[in-house]
Amino acid sequence: MFISEKTYITKDKKMFDLIVENHSLLLCLQHFEIDFAVGGKTVDELCLENNIDPGAFIIVANLYNGFMPEDHALNTIKNIHSVLLFLKKSHSYYVRDKYPELKYYLEKLKNNHNSKDHQLIERFFNEYFEEVMEHLKYEDEVAFPYFKSIQHAHETREKNSFSVNEYRNHHTDIETKLTDLKNLFLKHIKLESELNTKRRFLTTLFELEFDLKIHSFIEERVLIPVIERLEAELNG
Amino acid sequence: MDRNRNSIAVLEPSKIIYEGLLATVSKSGYDYVFYHVDNILELELLLVKKEVSVVLINPSLVLNRLNEFARLKKQSPDVIWIGIIYALFDQSFLKVFDDVFCIADEHSLIIQKINKIQNNSLVHNGEDGYLSEREIDVLKLLTKGMSNKETAEKLNISIHTVNTHRKNIMDKTGIRSLAGLTVYAVSKGVINLD
Repeated sequence: MFISEKTYITKDKKMFDLIVENHSLLLCLQHFEIDFAVGGKTVDELCLENNIDPGAFIIVANLYNGFMPEDHALNTIKNIHSVLLFLKKSHSYYVRDKYPELKYYLEKLKNNHNSKDHQLIERFFNEYFEEVMEHLKYEDEVAFPYFKSIQHAHETREKNSFSVNEYRNHHTDIETKLTDLKNLFLKHIKLESELNTKRRFLTTLFELEFDLKIHSFIEERVLIPVIERLEAELNG
Repeated sequence: MDRNRNSIAVLEPSKIIYEGLLATVSKSGYDYVFYHVDNILELELLLVKKEVSVVLINPSLVLNRLNEFARLKKQSPDVIWIGIIYALFDQSFLKVFDDVFCIADEHSLIIQKINKIQNNSLVHNGEDGYLSEREIDVLKLLTKGMSNKETAEKLNISIHTVNTHRKNIMDKTGIRSLAGLTVYAVSKGVINLD
């Protein structure tokens, strides 16, 4: 696959070595609710212990290492619960952790200096923040229950309230505005404020952007195809 | 991700050759993003996903797949194709590439070839980020909430032209949402928020 200096993760790799090589994997573990005290366990052993589908874990963890899954790799996912768990947990990471962090730094940036540019950025961010919260709520309340119901064929499904396209458009918006915010800061607007807070704000922005990219990739290119496959199996 | 950086894809099975090229070009001070692929299928996939400006190719990988290669070239007309030569090839075959270099060539010559071709053909989308007067007119109206159609009528230009300006504004500023462009426009004094 494409150039990446990181290890391609397979089930026999030791989790400890992988974390040391790329500490963003901590976030991946957190989203799967796997503790960081991994000892000498392999990927497979950890998944088994934590009741996580190893196929799903390997695909997701490899995204953190910069590898896109091959199409056939999606067939290794036997159960979408793990994928849904990952997505749900990453939601709460955005809602409880990253977005409030950005908000906090923006406040702090404004504290000593309240210029027109601060107000503009703040207004942009607040509107954006509302949109994100709305989208995450939509996913939690409409999309995820729908996905879950597919796994349980006997439950009644409400197909009409859900549209894959709507789902995709939301994502594009969220990522576009995040990139806009980054570019406004790095290219166009020089806010009067101390560098340290500005750097923290930007670092959080980059972390969020990185995780959101993986998040939407998983939803669109992993979850939806797998769901379609499961649905086909169900109907056939 | 970053629209202003040019990318080079290297279709070459040997990791040593690839890493040598990567090191040579990186040390030259020119800024490229590198991708390594080892077969034509992967290259095709990469060209779909990423914006690649130059492909450095080991000719033996396309020697017996000329039709496929021709199709690929057609699919990505803006890409520059350069052969990496370390064996003897028929000169007429090498014509399928835009240029070739030999791995025994001086580093500076190799870099020159990659850059020369680059600069000649690539239309650079205003990396300085300054908007033209017309683009500012378009930005003004768009951020005031006018549609493409209304903007076109007001400025007496076609919708197609509005779209082109719009795309250029986005490329130059790196900002793609209307809300983001509004922040930009107000901050730069293009429009007033009242």
